Amino acid sequence: MDLTACVRVGPFEVWSPPRPNSLPLQNGDSHFPGRLFIVEGIDGSGKSTQLSLLHKWLESRGYGVVFSEWNSSPLVKDTTKLGKKKKMLTAGTFSLVHATDFADRTERRILPLLKAGAVVLCDRYVYTAFARDVARGMDAQWVRDLYRFAVRPTVAFYFRVPLDTAIHRLLDARDGFKFYEAGMDLGLSDEPEESFRMFQGRVLAEYEKMIDEFRLTVIDATLPIETQQSQVRQIVQRHLDSAKEVRLRR
Amino acid sequence: MREAYGRLLPDMRVADLKGKLIVIEGTDGVGRTTQINLLKPWLEELGHAVIETGVSRSVLAGDGIRRAKERNSLGSVTQTLFYATDFVDRLEREIVPALRAGFIVLTDRYIYSLIARASVRGVDPRWIRSIYSVALKPDAVFYLRLGLQQLLPRVMFSRGFDYWESGRDLFPALEVYESFCAYQSALLAEFERLSAEYRFEIVDATFDEKRVFGQLRTGIQRVLEADSRENGNLSTPSDWQSYQRVNFQQAFAAALNGNRLAASASAAAQLRMPTASGNGNGHAHRSQGDD
Repeated sequence: MDLTACVRVGPFEVWSPPRPNSLPLQNGDSHFPGRLFIVEGIDGSGKSTQLSLLHKWLESRGYGVVFSEWNSSPLVKDTTKLGKKKKMLTAGTFSLVHATDFADRTERRILPLLKAGAVVLCDRYVYTAFARDVARGMDAQWVRDLYRFAVRPTVAFYFRVPLDTAIHRLLDARDGFKFYEAGMDLGLSDEPEESFRMFQGRVLAEYEKMIDEFRLTVIDATLPIETQQSQVRQIVQRHLDSAKEVRLRR
Repeated sequence: MREAYGRLLPDMRVADLKGKLIVIEGTDGVGRTTQINLLKPWLEELGHAVIETGVSRSVLAGDGIRRAKERNSLGSVTQTLFYATDFVDRLEREIVPALRAGFIVLTDRYIYSLIARASVRGVDPRWIRSIYSVALKPDAVFYLRLGLQQLLPRVMFSRGFDYWESGRDLFPALEVYESFCAYQSALLAEFERLSAEYRFEIVDATFDEKRVFGQLRTGIQRVLEADSRENGNLSTPSDWQSYQRVNFQQAFAAALNGNRLAASASAAAQLRMPTASGNGNGHAHRSQGDD
């Protein structure tokens, strides 16, 4: 090490290394050849169904598509699982552990893939955290700051559905609600279904506030699946036309 | 009253936190652990209940961080957030409950090391500060200060160069020794900046461990004495009079505002004072539970 290149800080000579490139905060995706499409909405809004239909369509047309799900980082998900299983997550740690998971997916998958020109599809994105964490009592600005490293999506679809419709869909499809999913940690109600209703109501209100703030693209999730999908594809198509280079040769 | 650097986390009550939060900071190999191992029995002998905590010791995220570090594949933003998860878990489930029970919390590093590590890795310094704005302000931060030249032999002849302590993730192209020097220098520079920003009490760690221990004891004693004055350890008449005056003023103010409940509570608190003063400064002597 060249100690002559030292600077004096306090009583010591220190050597300041060149700073590595930090992740730009609030990345615009326009810098990247890839495209990022994400879906948002409360549980039971049908967003995952729509995303999987979009995925198949893009693949059939020869695009290099990669899918990334909320809460799926191999480095972090065991920690999240432990916290949920032992019910030891507070609003603060719930927020942070999900941000850690998202950071790992951003740093090691989403960002490199976008740089490489892939079409990246995310089931839930930062807006999920904004809605849920604030519904749990976290400060809205703090949570927004927390996710400043996130890449801004090309299009953020918000599948808007009334609470009752979502609850009916979920009750038809499964037996009950999980502890954190129903916001049972907030002590709103001892009855899971009632707690779910109250908590998701808060989450829904947060989503509604974000439509203008983040220019979410609203899809009416009460329409037939086919109609929603055709709207989604039309919008996605427009953003692909401007980025022909992402097409894979097969 | 105790406060956070920014907004408190939801459901965090701080009005009744009567314990003391004492931070020992410093870079790797400077002797923080040695000092904490001396301070704890000393404080206990004085009758204070003590718990110690430190980075990545949380039940929630400790194992996850260790596993992720073994794989050497942790990005700098992810690393920062993993440590923040660990910190908040310990803050909420360990530090705050202990402070509420009147313990002295000795913490081996606090948010400052975490801020330094992230800053050196090029993470936006404003971003890290905004995350850690939920941290409680401690009663004192003792920074064990040592230059690189004095640090080197301690590390070389004790544990050797560790992957992360040598900043190998930052400087993979450098030899271990150069990487260690570059990384630790950068950390020291960052600590100097933090020292001014967060008003560290600087402890000269170039001395042997007994003298460093002496410096720390003096500093901690001062923190504890300030505490006993605030809490009404009424050994001198003048203290007693000023205490009475304050309480009468509070009672009057409350009465003037028509708040009878507060007035009577304040007066009642006053009546209890002589017995409270007999109990010393409020640090109950407790046997320590599991670490």
